[in-house]
Amino acid sequence: MTDTQWPIYEVFHQQARGDPHMYVGSVHATDPEMALLLAKEQYARRQACVNLWVVPVEAITASDYEDADMFAHETDKSYRESWGYKTPKTIRSKDVDQDQSS
Amino acid sequence: MKPIESFDDLTTVTRDALVDLLYRLGDDELVLGHRNSEWTGLAPILEEDIAFSSMAQDEMGHAQVYYQMLHALGEPDPDTIAFSRKPREYRCASLVSLANDKNWAFCLLRQFLYDASETVRLTALCEGTLVPLAQAARKIRSEEKYHLMHGRSWVLRLGNATDESHERMQTALYEAYPHALGLFEPTAADEPLTLAGICPREEELRRQWESAVAPVLADAGLEQPETAQAAYGGRVGHHPESLTSLLNDMQIVYKIDPAAKW
Repeated sequence: MTDTQWPIYEVFHQQARGDPHMYVGSVHATDPEMALLLAKEQYARRQACVNLWVVPVEAITASDYEDADMFAHETDKSYRESWGYKTPKTIRSKDVDQDQSS
Repeated sequence: MKPIESFDDLTTVTRDALVDLLYRLGDDELVLGHRNSEWTGLAPILEEDIAFSSMAQDEMGHAQVYYQMLHALGEPDPDTIAFSRKPREYRCASLVSLANDKNWAFCLLRQFLYDASETVRLTALCEGTLVPLAQAARKIRSEEKYHLMHGRSWVLRLGNATDESHERMQTALYEAYPHALGLFEPTAADEPLTLAGICPREEELRRQWESAVAPVLADAGLEQPETAQAAYGGRVGHHPESLTSLLNDMQIVYKIDPAAKW
């Protein structure tokens, strides 16, 4: 059977300006503009939202779970954990104000 | 013109005209909200089912705002207004009463034509002299912004997608257009509301609406029915039969036990 579903867009939601965009789920949509419109009602109707991102699922390149061991910390390297440093919260995109980075 | 800060500052004539306007606005919202809620669980796409249902709730919320204002003007409470009037006492335009008939093209197009009219009207009310109404209109307009984006996007896509979708949208437009013009049925309230600076005349709003929807319909490749005759009557209580069956459905629980908590 052929798949008659529309393409999938992953949805990222920002609760307040300066907050990181959080992954909240996906929508089926014909195109990015429609994906934004549909995402608004699926993911922003119950909680505060100031900004949404939609990303075509094909745009995501993921690592393989079989390689998850490469993330393990086998020896003590706590000296390089960056607790106490301030890290930037936002990703710059052409549609996002540049004054948010902190 | 001087702003009118409170309902108490209205003359009797203006006050009666305002009551008439609020019934028209509230009833349009309530009945269209109910019509759209009939798609819940049935809309052609899951995401759209949720979006359309959510917008139906928005419309019902707007109805409540207008009904609360009516209550402040001495009319019954919102539940009584919504659930215990007879069809002839409703003041909605025929556009919102028409049955869905499982016709998604018609319902989307109706929503677009209606949202465009609401945007025009709310903008006028925001600029009007009656402060409590202008404040309510500003709140409602922010939700309408999304509704109009949603409707416009669908109309543009379905008008231009396939021969079948184009045909369905064009047929729906011919069917809906005369009833959409009925949203601007002139009433005896026009004169006092205009004189008080609360709301422009219906014919003026209709002109603004026509120039708002025409470019979208053109971009969607749809032919605007230029000779359409407006379907009037709703604003004086003459409705299509479909409103009676809608109200029977909507009021059934309330009529069993008006005092029930639910």
